[in-house]
Order: sequence, then C-alpha cells, then structure tokens
Amino acid sequence: MRGSGRKPLLSRGALGRARPLLRPYHRRITAAGCLIVVWLVGSLSTPLLIRYAIDEGIDGHDRHALHVAAGLLLLAVALTYVSYRGQLILLNQVGEGFLRDLRLRVFAHLQALSLGFYDRQQAGVLVSRMTSDVDALSNLVQTGFFTFIASVLLIASSAVVLVVLSPVLAAACLILIPPVVIASVWFRRRAAPLYLVIRDRVGRVLGAMHEGLAGVRVLRAYGAEDIAIRRFDAHTDELFEAHVAAVRISMRYMPVIEFASIGATAVVVGTGGLLVEHDLVTLGTVVAFVLYLSNLFQPIEQLSFLLQLVQTGQAGLGKLFGLLDARVEIVSRAGAVELPSSGEIVFEQVSFSYGAGVVLDEIDLTVAAGERVALVGPTGAGKSTLGKLAARFYDPTAGSVSFGGVDLRDGTLGSLRDRIVVVPQEGFLFTGTLSENIRLGRDDASDADVRRALEAIGALARFSALPRGLETQVESRGARFSAGERQLVALARVALADPGVIVLDEATSSLDPVTEREVEDAVELLARGRTLISIAHRLTTAERADRVILVDGGRIVEDGPHAELVARGGRYAQLYSSWVGGKAVDSPTIEPAARDPNGGAV
Amino acid sequence: MIARSVRAPSGETGDLSGLSLLRQLFREERVGLLAGSLAGLVWMGARVAVPKCTQLAIDRGIAPGDTQATIAWALAILAVGCVAAVFTGIRHWYANIVAKKTERRVRQRLFVHYQRLHVGFHDGVPVGDLMGRANSDLAEIERLTNLAPSTIAAFVGLLAVTAILFATNAGLAALSLSTIVLLVVTTVRFAKLLQPASAAVQLELAALGSVVEDTVSGMRVVKGLGAEETQRQKLHEVTDSIYEHSIALARIRAAYLPAYELLPLVGIAIVLVVGGGRVLDGTMTVGQIVGFSGYLLMLVYPMQRAGLMIPQLQRTLVASRRIAAVLSVEPAIAEQPDAVEHPDGPGAVRFEHVWFGYPPVAGQPALLDFDLSIEPGTSVALVGATGCGKSTVTRLLLRFYDAQEGRIAIDGHDVRHLRSADLRKLIAVVFEDSFLFEDTVAANIALGNSEAPRELVERAARLASADGFISALPDGYETLLGERGYSLSGGQRQRLAIARAILADPRVLILDDATSAIDSTREHEIRQALVEVMKGRVTIVIAHRPATIALVDRVVMLDRGRIVADGAHEDLLATNATYARFLTGRSAAS
Repeated sequence: MRGSGRKPLLSRGALGRARPLLRPYHRRITAAGCLIVVWLVGSLSTPLLIRYAIDEGIDGHDRHALHVAAGLLLLAVALTYVSYRGQLILLNQVGEGFLRDLRLRVFAHLQALSLGFYDRQQAGVLVSRMTSDVDALSNLVQTGFFTFIASVLLIASSAVVLVVLSPVLAAACLILIPPVVIASVWFRRRAAPLYLVIRDRVGRVLGAMHEGLAGVRVLRAYGAEDIAIRRFDAHTDELFEAHVAAVRISMRYMPVIEFASIGATAVVVGTGGLLVEHDLVTLGTVVAFVLYLSNLFQPIEQLSFLLQLVQTGQAGLGKLFGLLDARVEIVSRAGAVELPSSGEIVFEQVSFSYGAGVVLDEIDLTVAAGERVALVGPTGAGKSTLGKLAARFYDPTAGSVSFGGVDLRDGTLGSLRDRIVVVPQEGFLFTGTLSENIRLGRDDASDADVRRALEAIGALARFSALPRGLETQVESRGARFSAGERQLVALARVALADPGVIVLDEATSSLDPVTEREVEDAVELLARGRTLISIAHRLTTAERADRVILVDGGRIVEDGPHAELVARGGRYAQLYSSWVGGKAVDSPTIEPAARDPNGGAV
Repeated sequence: MIARSVRAPSGETGDLSGLSLLRQLFREERVGLLAGSLAGLVWMGARVAVPKCTQLAIDRGIAPGDTQATIAWALAILAVGCVAAVFTGIRHWYANIVAKKTERRVRQRLFVHYQRLHVGFHDGVPVGDLMGRANSDLAEIERLTNLAPSTIAAFVGLLAVTAILFATNAGLAALSLSTIVLLVVTTVRFAKLLQPASAAVQLELAALGSVVEDTVSGMRVVKGLGAEETQRQKLHEVTDSIYEHSIALARIRAAYLPAYELLPLVGIAIVLVVGGGRVLDGTMTVGQIVGFSGYLLMLVYPMQRAGLMIPQLQRTLVASRRIAAVLSVEPAIAEQPDAVEHPDGPGAVRFEHVWFGYPPVAGQPALLDFDLSIEPGTSVALVGATGCGKSTVTRLLLRFYDAQEGRIAIDGHDVRHLRSADLRKLIAVVFEDSFLFEDTVAANIALGNSEAPRELVERAARLASADGFISALPDGYETLLGERGYSLSGGQRQRLAIARAILADPRVLILDDATSAIDSTREHEIRQALVEVMKGRVTIVIAHRPATIALVDRVVMLDRGRIVADGAHEDLLATNATYARFLTGRSAAS
C-alpha cells in the first residue's frame, strides 16, 4: 500500500491515499461514470427542448413540433430517471463497500498492534476512529460524492451549452461570475477554519459532559456540582460562539448566490429582450437561458456547503491513515515453524526498552515445564514486562526468549497462542452470553467443552445456578457479575484454551476473602500440569509458588523458593515482613493452613 | 465490585411530554422563530414573483418589441433579486441562531438536571444513555428548529404557486398539477419507507460500536488468548450487515429522490402540448407558458422539503420524548426547605433501626434494622462478603440514598435535615475507583475546595505520599491530567484521591476500598499516611486486607444486612470463629 498510492495528483494527502482502496470497485465506478453522462445529456436537453417548442412550435405555428418536443421531453425524463437512479445505487455500493473495507482494515490493524500501543492510546480515541471518523466519511459517501461530481459536471456543461446557444448572451451573463467566484473563495477561506474550531469544541462539550456523568458520585460527595456545571456552561457557550461566527459567514455568502441566480434571470431577460428585437436570438433561446441559469447557481451553492462535509471526511480519513501508519511489531516471520507442544522457557541475555530507559537489563532465566513461578517486585520494576516477553507481547530489544528450544520469533503466531496464554485476572466480559465469553478465541468449542472448562476450575455450579445458566446475557460489561465471577470467567477461558503455559497477570483490586479464596482455588486447579508464571501483586501468590523471582531495576535480584528467600533475610524477606505489617503478622491469610493448595476444593 | 442490577430510570413516564417540551422550547424562542419565518415568507414571496415578472417581461416587452417595458421588467426582477437575497440571509441567520440557542439551552438544562438527580438514578442509567439524550436526541430538535422557518416559507410558497397557476389558467393548472399529485404520493411513501430503513442502519452502527469498544477495551484479553480472529469475524458480520442495510436505504433514496426533480418536467411536457396549443389558438400567451414552466419547477423545493420533514418530525418527536422523560424525573434526594445548619460537633455517627432496599427490587433488603454507633474520633472497618451491605452503609451516610425506615444522624442531626453543603463538608470519601477530572493535579486535589492555598494542597499530597510522583511530573502540581493531559497509574490516582479527602479535612472520612489499586508491595508506604489521616476524626474503612483492617480501632462484620460481629480486630480474631473463618476465606460462601 505504500509508495504506489502516493501520487498527489488529483488531491493531496488523505484523499489521495484512499484511491488504492477504490481499486476493487473500478468497474462500478466506470459504469457510474457512463450513467452520469446519460444523466447529463438528459438534464441538458430539457431547456433545449423547451426552446425548440417555443421557437418551432409556437413561433412557427407547428403543433407537430410541440408534440415532438413534449415526447422527447418525456423520453429525456425517463432516461434521466433511470441513469440518476442507477448511478446513485452504484456510487453507494462503491462508497459503502469502501467504508466496509476501511473498517475491516483498520480493525485488523488495531488488533495487530502491540499492547504498547494500547498503553499509549486512550481506548475512547481508538473507538472513535472506527465509529465517528468513519461515519464522517459515510456522509460524504452517501450524498457528497454524487453532489460533487454532478455539480461540477452540470456547471461546466451548462456553461458550454450557453456559449454555443448564444455567445453574446452568455457573455452578458459573465458579469455575474466574478462576484460569485470571489464570494465563494472568501467563504471557503473564512469558513474552513471555523468548522475545525466547531469540531474541536463539540469534542470538548461532550468530554465535559462525559466527565460530569462518570464522576457524578465524586462531585456529589465533595459538593462540587456547581464547579462542573460552570465548566460545562463555559464549554457550551464557547461552542455556541463558534456556531454564531460560522453562521455570520454563511449568512453573508448565501445572499450573494441568491442574488446572482435571480440577477442572471434579469440580465438574460433584459439583454435577451434587446437581442430578440434585433433578431439576434430567438425567444426560445432566452427562455432556455433562464432555465439553464436556474440550474447553474444552485450547484455552486451546494459545492460551497459540501466543503464542510469534505473537510470532516478528509480529517477523519487522515486520522484513519495515521492509525494505519502505526507500525505492527509482532508478526509471524517467513518460514516460521510450529512451536513444540511443551518445553522450558528460556530467557537469554534479554534486554528490553519501551523507548527511553531500560526496563529489563540482560536477564537470564529458565522456567522448567510445569514449574510455578511468581514474579514479584515494586511497580515499574519490570516484572510485568518480563511476563509479557514470555508470551511475545513484545520482542526483546536484545537477547532471546525461547520455548522448548525454539526462539519465539521463529514460531508462528497461531501456535504461540495455542501454547502460551496470557490472562489478565481482572476479568473483562464482552457483550454476548457467558458461554460465548468463555469460548472467546476457541470458536469451535462445544457447549460440553465450555462446561468441562468451568468444571475444571470448580466454577460450573456457580454459573449453572443462574436463571439462564451459561446463556445468561452479559450486559454493560458484566455489571451484574461480581468481580470474583468475572475473574472466574477469565480463568475458565484459559481452561478451555488448555495451553501449556499460563502467564497470569494478577488482579490488583481486592476481593472479599471468601471470594478470593474461591478464585485462588481455581488458579490452583488451572495450574496443575501447566507452567504458571504469575505477575504477582500480592505476596500470598508468591508463597504458593515453587519459586519466587524478585525483580527490581530491570534485573533479577533474588531467585528461589519463598521459604528459602525469607530465611535468607534479603530484599524479599524485607518486603515480606513489611507487607505482613509488622505487628499484624498474625493476620490469618499467611498462616500455613491457608497455603494448603488442594484443601477443600472441587 | 458492586453486582447490583442496572435499573431503568424511575419516572420515565413523566408529566412533561415530548410535544409539550417542543412547544415550550419554541415558545422560548418565539421572537427568533417569528422573525425567521417572516423573513422566510418575504424571501419566498420574492422568489414566487420571479417567474411572474419573467412572464410579464416576455408578454409586455419582448413579444410586442417594447424595449422600455423589457428593461423595466428586467430591473424589476433585479429588485426582486435584491429582496430575495437580503431576506434569505436574514432567514438563514435567525433559523440557525434559534436552533443553536435551543441546543445550548437544552444541553445546559440537561447537565444541571443530571447533576441534581439522585445517585440512585445514575446507578440505574448508563452514562452513554444520558449522553445520547444530550447529544444525538438533542441534534434532532436542533435540526427541526433550524428547518422550521424555511419549511413554513416553502409551504406558503407551495400554496401561492398553486393559486397563481389556477388564476392564470385553471384548466392547464389542473392538468399539469396532476403530476404533483403523484409527487405527494411519492413523498408520503418515501417518508414511510425511509424511517425504518435508516433506523436499521443506525442499529447496525450501534452494534459495530459495541464490538469495537469491547475489543479495544478488552485487547489484553483478546491478545492473551489469541482471539483476534473471533473478534474479526464478529466485526465482519456487522460490517456486512451495515453494507446491506445501507444499500437497501440507498435503493429507496435512489428510487425516490430523482422523482422530485423529474416529475415537474412531466408537467412541463403537458404544458408544452396543451399550453402551446392554446397559444396557437390565441387563448394563452408565450409568457404564460414560460411562467407556468418556471412555477412547476419551483414546486420541486417544497415537495423535497416535505419529504424531508415528515421523517424529521417523527424522529424529533421520539427524541424530545426521551429528553422530556429524563427532565421530568424528580431528584429523589434534595435539600429540605427547612434544612438546618450543622453546628460544630465532634462528628458522632449513629444508624438507628435503619431499613433499606435498593429500588425497585422488593426482595432482599440491603440493610435490616441496622444499628451502629460510632464514637467521635474513632475508626471502624466494615467487612463482609460482596453484597453484605457494607457499601450501602456509606451510601446512606453520604445521602446518595435515603433510608426507608429509621434514621441516620451525625451529632444527633438527621442527615435528611441537614443542608446539603454542610453534609458535604462534614464527610469526605475516597472511592475504590478514584475519579480524576481533566484539570491540573492541584485542582483535582482541591475539588470542592477551590480556594485552598497551595501549602495546604501540597501538605495533603505529602500526607497521602503523593508528593513524590507529583514533583516528578512535567509541570508538577500544574500538570494537566486526563484525556488531553497526563495519565497516571491506578495507585497514583488513588493517592491523589486520598489527598483530596485529606484536604477536605472532614469530620467523617470514608475510605471505600481506597487502597485496593495500590500494589501490595507499596501499601506499607501509605499505611502511615492513613494512620495520620485517621487521627481526630471518624473514619469508616471498607477493606479486605488484614493489614489495613489492623489499622482501625474497631471492626464491624456484616452479613446480609445485619451485624454479625463487632469488636477490636485482635479480639475478634481470638474470640469470633465466624470472623476468623471469613478472613481466611474459609466461611461457607452462601
């Protein structure tokens, strides 16, 4: 898509880049072009037929000519109708097809981008790329295209016909062209920046409203509603001012066009009358001129107002292409192989950086198959990054990560996700049924498979007990489900996917102890016979792991079983004693009894 | 962590109907609407005069060869053009200004209303729904208001043109207008077909938005499981459906839109044959033929407008019904007219025989005959399983909801009888989900306390151990946060929220799971801050972590709306088996 589509010939920037996307529709575009010619002929013939009727029929006292003119007029109407209708449908098929392709392409690209991209971008902004920015184009596609092409062609061809019919009369009408052109240029220049301002301010108003609604409880609790209201009022006032400024511009422009279109009639009637007297033109020609001119000015006005549509569309397209330009980092290499079905994960001299600053510094680490490892360390120490590298969410800046002896970069992405799965424990529910939620990414799984997955983590009874069972519809992100239930769904997805390696990104928010216990039991069940790498936020997880790896400053500081590290009295021991809270050491969650992994489950 | 059901807004069938809202809005802008409509009528009058003047120019000037008459009528057309130009500008101005004023007024009114409505309402209605009413629904009203003056003008113009045609030649008028009857039928059918077709497209677009939003927000899940293909397939289905519905809509438009421009031409063909014949017979003039044709072409505009306005009216009515519905919901919790000022007091909190159930579900109440008394200056932790009622306790104290029975008092004053502003000053809260506004760090800390001096803001930040990361921000306390500004981590956000509560210096402080987003390896850093903050005020803590619970004087354990254990953490651990079991996660869940 690069290189070839960069001919700034017809239009600069975004619109030019959109042209390659239209390639699959060339035949339809050509067909529409042919129909436009037919439509143009039909439209232009109307005034000519009326002229013929007046000059030959009425002036020439020829009833037959009147009938011929009327008959031809009906024929022209029929032709115009068919071609008009046909091209509207064709152009819409092209436009809607283009939008569909664009949506799919942007979406595919979005999904291919690395998580780092999502860390930098607001979700709302990305959603609006796929919705409002494409919608901005759809207005252009539905009416804009046709209006633009038809207006330009109609203006040009009417001008030609006028000159052919009577050069003198056409010349007289020329007086009106300069003011119209000047006014149109002026309008374009003044209105374009205002429309940008309006778009920006609409965004601000909606942003302020969203903030005031999403934060309504905090505002209420602090009695700060009036501050929010004042701020919102200020935003709406600013938007209103921008609207007023824009209307002030269009209010001055519209009368010029209106005057020109009626003034043209006056010029034609006045000049034409004199010319008829001197037998230089016929009355029919004058009438034809009047009709043509009424056709001529409307399109000019439409073109000027199309400006806003084109501008919004172009801006939307520009943003979409900006998104498509974001580089996809994680791809299957040519000649990539299937990863082995099991094996150890080996980090060799792995360094990583998100850009500025080193996050991981020459890490060496081997996780044996079936081992349970907890990565602990302060926020920003690099433990999450380490976990993500194990699942190839990122590629290391230096060094390599391998699974069963194969460098992850040499494996196919498909086999990678069959072997290694990453779960944010903070369960995210998608719109759809519970069963569809669990089946995510494993579309071929049967209902029995889904039940078996739930059974495997000991959560089947809980969800089957719902009135509609697994067919319960998830609404508004699963607000009906408790945090614990959402986490169980996340774990059930993994059980269904049945990978060899699980990278579990632990939830930071806390559950009540009873639910937490249930979720921990589910993790225990899930971990049996699998490699489990936990990005641990709570040290209870570390206690249960076979091995604790303390990461700080991008390096592995300590590595060993929990008890050993505590006994060693190093950094981990310090962290641990501070976590258990000095005198509150008796807190029951760390009693040995709570560590019995298989107690009471199933 | 709240698993309550989403409730429909109460009072959807309010007393303000959509139609009366529209009437009220039009009344408020009646001067502008009237001015716009009058200007529109003058403009339409001038437009209607043009074919008549042309006709006279031909019949009195050009046909008999009277140069002076020709010039005179041409000048008359020019003058008419001036009038039309000036008045179309005036009409455009008023129509747009009135529409934008209405939009602004309703939007501001809605926002104020949203801010006044009780929290219970907000708990039941998604933000997107309320946004939609103030945005896309409002846009329908704006559009109707904008189109009103020109529609009135177009309609009057239609009547005037018809009258002129019949006055000129009744027979020919009847004959050529027969095509217009077809146009009317077309308009009605078009309007009827258009509405459901475009509604179908809108529905599919909403489905698309939902798939995209799900995928983007849940990208970590999608990528973690390699479910990209599942999501792509979902989107593919939706885009295909959008395509098909859009083409169906385009087919309807393509069938009807050309008819508007072309049917009048059929009328002109009739005029040429019949009218032309009459000219030859001497019963009509050439000018009249030209005038007739001009008028028939003029009918395109009003008919098109009618085709546009019928579906627009339907949409606007639906939209204004939705806006009126939300406007007529009364705030269930409001300051009482005889509310009293809260005298200085130590901040003793009492719940007396409080019963409460979330509306409208009648089933299990959230609190049953709940009694709790908190001494001034002490701290209490509320613990219990999800749904036990612990969050409800804080919501009632904050007066987000009112108790159905019993009373809640601070220093002996029923919270329902306190002035809202005083109640807000008395209590500050840190929620689990700390919300930051798009503003500077300092302004976020000073929420509800905007004239607080900088030293106090910084002191609050220090106490919340937030000053470290704040100083590291590009502009320190003046760093802009939010969508257009800097984004903070969950733990940092929560520390700002705690600083906010500290600055408010309340008599009663509620920490609603306020330390949950802080990494447990970091939690100890803030623990000292919490101890500091709790000094000298009533603190109600909702927490699950034993280390946090250990900080408070007293623990109250709830189960299904009742207190099942009450005492100091260590005592309870030693003496109360239920409590000990609960903290280990061992109690039978149900």
